[in-house]
Amino acid sequence: MNIGLFISESEKAISNIIDLQSLASDYKNLASVKIFNNLCSSTSIRAVQEEIKTKKLKGLVLAGESPLYYKKIRNGDLLLKTIHEAGINSNMVSFVNLKEQVAMPHRSDPSGATKKAKVLLDVGIEKLRFTHDVDTIGVTPKKSVAIIGTTIGGLFAANRLLERGYKVHFIDNVSLRDLGDYKTQAMPTLAYIKNHPEVTFHTETPTEIYGYAGNFRISLGDYSLRAGALIVAIENDLTYTEALYPLIRIERDDSGFFKPLISDTSTVETSNQGIFVIPYVKDTPLSYIIALSDSASTLADSLLSKKEIEHELFVSEVDEEVCGGCGTCIKTCIFHAAELDPIKKLSSTNIKRCVGCGNCVSACPTGARDQISAPTKYLISAIKILAQYQPSNNIKILYLACEGCGYPSLDYAGKMGVEYPTSVLPLSVRCAGRIDTQLILEAFREGFQGVVICKCKDDHCLNIVGNIDLDRRANLFRAVLKSRGITPERLRIFGVSECEGGSCVGSAVEFLDYLRNIGGKA
Amino acid sequence: MGKVNVATGHLQGCFGCHVAILDLHEDLIGLLESIEILRSPINDVKEIPEVQLGILDGSVTNTENRETAKKFREKADKILAFGTCACFGGIHGLRNLHPLNDVLKRAYTDTESTLDGKIPASKDIPEMLPHVHSLNQTIKVDYYLPGCPPTPTMIKKALTDILNNREPEIPTKNLCHECVREHHEMYIPKREFITENVTTLMELENIDPKKCFLEQGILCMGPATREGCDSRCVKGNTPCRGCMGPTPDALEQGAKMINALANILPAGGLMFMEDVVGVGYRYALPVSIYPHVKEKKTL
Ligand code: SF4
Ligand code: SF4
Ligand code: SF4
Repeated sequence: MNIGLFISESEKAISNIIDLQSLASDYKNLASVKIFNNLCSSTSIRAVQEEIKTKKLKGLVLAGESPLYYKKIRNGDLLLKTIHEAGINSNMVSFVNLKEQVAMPHRSDPSGATKKAKVLLDVGIEKLRFTHDVDTIGVTPKKSVAIIGTTIGGLFAANRLLERGYKVHFIDNVSLRDLGDYKTQAMPTLAYIKNHPEVTFHTETPTEIYGYAGNFRISLGDYSLRAGALIVAIENDLTYTEALYPLIRIERDDSGFFKPLISDTSTVETSNQGIFVIPYVKDTPLSYIIALSDSASTLADSLLSKKEIEHELFVSEVDEEVCGGCGTCIKTCIFHAAELDPIKKLSSTNIKRCVGCGNCVSACPTGARDQISAPTKYLISAIKILAQYQPSNNIKILYLACEGCGYPSLDYAGKMGVEYPTSVLPLSVRCAGRIDTQLILEAFREGFQGVVICKCKDDHCLNIVGNIDLDRRANLFRAVLKSRGITPERLRIFGVSECEGGSCVGSAVEFLDYLRNIGGKA
Repeated sequence: MGKVNVATGHLQGCFGCHVAILDLHEDLIGLLESIEILRSPINDVKEIPEVQLGILDGSVTNTENRETAKKFREKADKILAFGTCACFGGIHGLRNLHPLNDVLKRAYTDTESTLDGKIPASKDIPEMLPHVHSLNQTIKVDYYLPGCPPTPTMIKKALTDILNNREPEIPTKNLCHECVREHHEMYIPKREFITENVTTLMELENIDPKKCFLEQGILCMGPATREGCDSRCVKGNTPCRGCMGPTPDALEQGAKMINALANILPAGGLMFMEDVVGVGYRYALPVSIYPHVKEKKTL
C-alpha cells in the first residue's frame, strides 16, 4: 500500500521545537513524505490533492496539529474532504498530534520531543497496517424535522422550515412553553404554525432516538416518528436536558445545558451530524434567538435537500468464525446495537444504532468483535512501539486517553502551555469502555512502569456508560496486576472534563514521581 | 503406503493425555494399521528414533523436559503439541505466579507436615526452570491439539488429519456455541447484572441442569474458552473451567474473561478477585500476556 506522510510545521510552532527534517528523513521508504508550513492553507490543500493522485496514495499520516483541530476548523474540514475525494478512505488517514501533545508541552526539551515524535509517527503508520476501509451507506433524507422544545427558538425555526416545505414535529413535555416576554411578538408565528397542516405536536417524552442524519427514528412510548434532522431548543430546562442527553449525546456546557460544538464559529452545529442546537444564552435579545433559529433551519435545510447523505460506518464488526453467540456483547451494548442473528445464532451489529464506541469489543470474551477505527491488534502494536521510547531515567507511563475528554484535555494542557516530561506517552482510544485488560497487561509487559487511563468523568461519557464499565472492570485489572506482583497503584484512572488539562497532567507528573520513588519495587 | 512412524513423549504433566490415547479403545486398533508407534513412555524405549511424527504431551518445566523436547524436534519431521499443557503450559503453569525459590521452599521445607526438609540439590536430578513454558516456547511446533485431555474423538480426528497431511482443524468458536444449555438473559441488553445471587461452586445439587451457568450466577469459563471438547463438563452439570484455552482472536483467556464478566456478574468479578489467576488463567498462564510474576528488582 502506498502511504504518504504529510507533516505540518504549523507556522513554525512545531518546527521550532521538533527537528522535522531529520524526522522526515527516517521515512524515505514511504511513497511520499512532505513538509508543509500550514497543512490547512489553500495552497497546501491543492498540493495534498495533487500528491495523493500522482503517488496513488491509499493511506495517509497527517502529522501536525491535533485531529480535533482539523475537525473543528473550516479549512481542516476541507482538507479532510479533499483527501477523501482524492481517493483515501477516512479510516486510512491517521493523525499524529505533534503540536498540542509534543511541541507545546515539551518546548524545553527539543531532543526529547523529536524522539517522542518519532515513536508517535511510527504508531500513526502502524495504524494503517491494521485498519481497512470503512464502508459507507447512502441515506435518502426525510423531508421532516423534529424540533424538541416548543420554545421561542423552536417556533421560529419551525416557521422557516415550513416555508421551505418541510414537515415539522414538535416534541416537548408541554404543548407550548411559556414564551415570557416574547409572547406578543411570537403571536403571528404561533398562529401560522398552529394552523399549518404539516405540523404535529407530541407531548410524550422520547424514549429512544437512533439513526443517522437524514433519517432518525424517535420513539415516543407506543409509537415512533421519522425525521431527517433534529433541532434541540429546550433553553435552560435542566430536567429535560438530563432526560434527552442519553438519547442524543451532544455537548453540554458547565451548567449542564446543551451547547454547540464550537460556540464562536458554528453556533448551532453539534458533533452529532443532523442534530442542531439552539443554545440557551441568558438574557438574549429576540433578534439573536431568531438568528440562531435561522441558522439551525438553514443548516437543516441544506443537509436535507441533498439527494443522498453519505455515512461512514465506524462500527464494531464480528468475526463469525470465532463468535459463538455467548451474548456478552448483546448484554453490554447500551445502544442496543449488538443483536443476535436469529438464524446464525451469532452476534451481529445493527449499523443504524452502533456508534462504534468499542465497549462490546472489550467485553467480547473471544475477541470476535473488533473496532473498525482502532482494531485490538493495532492498539497492542502501538503499545509495543511507544514502549521503545527511552526517557533518560527509564521511567515512562502509557497515557490511555479517551476521545471524549481524556484526549481533548491533554490538548488543552498543551495549548495552555503546561509543560510535562516526554515520558508520558499518549495513546488515544475511542472510549474508556474500549480499554481491555489485555492492553494494560501488554503495557506492563512492554516495560511501562505505570498506566494512566484518562476518561470522562461522572455522567459526561459520550457513550453514556463507557466510563462506568471501565470502573466495573478496574478492580479486576488491579487484581490481575497484583497476581503478577505488580502493585495495583501502578494503574491510575483519572476522570476529567475537557478543560481540566492542567490537573490531569499534574496528576500524571505526580504519578511519575511516585513511580520514581518506588523504583523497580513491586 | 507404508505405515507412518510415530514417537510419543511425556514432558511435565499428569500423563492423562497418554491415557487418553488408550481411551480410543477399538479405534486404536484401526489407527495402528496406519501408524507404527516406535517409541512411547509405555514401551519404555529410551532412545528417540527418527520418526515422521513426534507427539509430546506436558509442559516444559525442567532441564530434562527441555532436552527431551529438543531431541524430539531433531528426530521428528512434525511435532504435535498434544493436550493443554503442551499447548498452553497447563495447570502447573500457575507456579509462574511465584518465584522459583518460593515454590521449592513451599514444596520441600515449608509444608506444614515437613520436618527438617531440604531442597534437593544433586547433579543427577534435572534442574527446575525459573518458569513453566508451553511447548512452542521451547521448540517449533507444527500442530496443536488442546484438551485436558483431548477427547478420543478429537484425537482420532487429529491423527487422521495428520496422516492425510492436513493440519488438524480445531474449532475456533467459544464453548457457548456448542453448549446446549438455555440462554436468555445474556441476549437482553441491560445494565443490571444477570443475577445478584451467586451460587458457590459447592452447591452443585442446586444447579439447574438446563440453564446456562452464568445466568444462574455461576462462573463458567465457556465464553472465553474454545469449543470442541464436546462440553463434557457442562453436560455433567459442572461449569467450564477453560481447559481448551482461548479462541484464536483473543490474545489471552483470563483478561478476556475479566472484561466480559465485569458486565455480567457482580460476584463473577468477586470470585475472580479472590483467586484471580486460578479461575481465569487456570490452564493458560504461561502463554498469557504477562506470563509470570514480576521479577523484583531494585533500581
Ligand atoms: S457497544 Fe458500542 S461499538 Fe459495540 S455494538 Fe454497541 S454501540 Fe457499537
Ligand atoms: S461477545 Fe463475542 S463471542 Fe459473544 S456473542 Fe458477542 S461477538 Fe460473539
Ligand atoms: S456460559 Fe457456560 S453454561 Fe452458559 S452457554 Fe456458555 S458454556 Fe454454556
